[in-house]
Amino acid sequence: MKTLRPITFMLVLAMVAMLSMQIAAQDSVTLRILVHQNPSMVTFMEEFNEEFEEANPNISIDMAVVNANDLGTVTQTRLAAGDVDIVSTTAGFSNSVQDYMEGANPPGWQVLIENGLLYDMSGQPFLENYDPVSYQDAGSFGDGIYSISLGRTVYSGIFYNKDMFEEFDIEVPTVWDELVAACETITEEGIGCMTAGGADGWPIFVGAYGILGSLFPDQAGYTEGLWTGDIRYDDEENLVMWERMQIYARDMMERGASGVPGDAAPGRFASGAVAMFPGGSWYAPAIEDADPDFDWGYIPFPGSDVEEDNLAWFGKYDQGWMVAADSPNIEAAMTYLTAFSETENYQEFVNAVGFIPTQPDVTLDTQLGEELTPYLDNFIVGWEQYWVTPTGAGQFALPYASFFAPFNEFDDPAELAARAQSDLQAGLDEVFGTE
Amino acid sequence: MIYPFGEGRQRWIPYLLVVPGLLLYFMIALGPSLATSLYSFTDASGTPGGEVNWIGLDNYDEFLFAGQAALDNIDALERTIIFSVVVSSMQFGLGLIVAILLTQGLPGTRFFRTLFFMPVILGAVIQGLIWRLFLYPLGGPLSTFLEQFGMYSEFLGGQDAFWWVVVVQIWANMGITMVIFIAGLQTIPEELYEAAQIDGASSLDSFRYITWPMLTPAVNTNLILNIIGSLQAWILFLVLIGYRPGTQVLGYIIYAQGFGATGASNAPLRQGFAAAASIVLFIIVLIVGLTTQYLLRRREERLLG
Repeated sequence: MKTLRPITFMLVLAMVAMLSMQIAAQDSVTLRILVHQNPSMVTFMEEFNEEFEEANPNISIDMAVVNANDLGTVTQTRLAAGDVDIVSTTAGFSNSVQDYMEGANPPGWQVLIENGLLYDMSGQPFLENYDPVSYQDAGSFGDGIYSISLGRTVYSGIFYNKDMFEEFDIEVPTVWDELVAACETITEEGIGCMTAGGADGWPIFVGAYGILGSLFPDQAGYTEGLWTGDIRYDDEENLVMWERMQIYARDMMERGASGVPGDAAPGRFASGAVAMFPGGSWYAPAIEDADPDFDWGYIPFPGSDVEEDNLAWFGKYDQGWMVAADSPNIEAAMTYLTAFSETENYQEFVNAVGFIPTQPDVTLDTQLGEELTPYLDNFIVGWEQYWVTPTGAGQFALPYASFFAPFNEFDDPAELAARAQSDLQAGLDEVFGTE
Repeated sequence: MIYPFGEGRQRWIPYLLVVPGLLLYFMIALGPSLATSLYSFTDASGTPGGEVNWIGLDNYDEFLFAGQAALDNIDALERTIIFSVVVSSMQFGLGLIVAILLTQGLPGTRFFRTLFFMPVILGAVIQGLIWRLFLYPLGGPLSTFLEQFGMYSEFLGGQDAFWWVVVVQIWANMGITMVIFIAGLQTIPEELYEAAQIDGASSLDSFRYITWPMLTPAVNTNLILNIIGSLQAWILFLVLIGYRPGTQVLGYIIYAQGFGATGASNAPLRQGFAAAASIVLFIIVLIVGLTTQYLLRRREERLLG
């Protein structure tokens, strides 16, 4: 009997311990988050997640990072599988089907909302931290708010090496001819003029969006004009665009740019391998991380002959948070977004990733902010956020510089212009039933 | 003939034993295939809870006949066939040559056998990463070598990207072809070669009249696997060059359309459309596969009796 008491005591103790663990397990949640590969953003998120877990011991964060090219696909499949709680978008709620877009398929985010996969965050207190215009423009559908936009980005600028410009006595170009001359000066010195993360595909043509924007500043109108036939890829004005895109792809891009991984391009620029780096403002933190002493500037891509046409930024609402409607961790997700949206945390996020803030009390306190400010009042949502390709259109029905050699098969701007229009017209004929 | 499985209830044993396998086959292969066929007649996006409407042949009409996009799909089909012909023939030829060399008892046989088979077990992502590093145009190994001769290429980023994927596909899968041929070569009795040698046959005669006919089962297996596998291949295109106009094969178009991976901003999922495209590819693979199998069986009967 005496020997039974310690045994009984230990058994009871074990049972109590197991019960406590079970109760604790029931209270603790794992919040699953999906983001895309942006090194500075991922670094910030990892640090933020660690602090959040310390402040909220019952919530652990499981963050998955995927290549930006795969984000849309992985988001939709993981939402479909019920395998994620918080997801992100990199283009806001853009590419809506406009009235003139006959037969167009709705964008992916709209399909997710209409199928009840995204959580309506209307009425959440943290929304008050944000500029209402931002989530109306980039996060609303119908009467609901399904995404909070974390910032805008510019994708029509060029980073330039200030030291190299000074060394070769190059003035910052303000018009197209000056940019061409600057590139010629640099390449004569045996240095590549520009680079881009060509291995990822999209950086080559996104780098040339400044040419598109400066020649066609009414980007929404450009989209509509292509659809209605008022604008053609093979008209005189577009031919200028194609000619300049060819020069950009063939002469300005360094040899081998097609093989540079997207993550490596900022470092390559900061190393002095090239003088300029056309790309999105989101690269600024990575450039600074590569070399904190590197002296760089960021200017609008001077794609036009007229200086006044080169004073705008073209870009998009970038990353936004969305929550899975069937997530079993809605409360934890709201706690997470509340913490993220606190002014102090959001300020740190914005400085880390280089976004133009969507909270009115937050400013971009970095060199990027200084570079963007002179033209910030001329921020224009870019063509890419409006465009929906007509059903039946060919694959070249897009204003992409990457269609030119050495990246693709076209050597002649007029030939590409004709092909682009032909491919587009095939789709327009198909949806409008015309010939 | 006496029924080997007994009488009464015991007669049902073989049928019952087959049921688990059949169920597994239905769940993993036949079921999804039937579902894909049905999906191909709908506007399904693939998003759960989404409305699915029967649209008949609209997806097939769009894929095959709608505007320039349909012509691009036909181009992709032509590219798929070219890819299959080149990959199948080169993979077959190289696999045979390597297998013959590795059955001669030469030094280092085991090492080279492992070396040639290793790419097979790496998986597409690792295969792609290795080659992206090897083909890095700014100072990668091949780029540096070519520079010694004043030559240059953008490799995977340029207009030759398609042919580099062909090279990688062959490198990645030649090991399987080699292993099947090695197994076939090892079943050929040595006495046949000894007898031929005594009769004064040359090496070429031995290959032509002994090795080649005796390898028929292995030849048939490899041809079928190579052709069908290469017709459906697309993952290396995804890993190496992405969705680039003028380079896609049919399998990649199916994936891209089904999962919104065409590169367009906010591209929707169109799994009904992708299902229709996959049925088209299935029909092509079925026709090619059955025809190849028929011709090879006739050849086998003629050679081996």
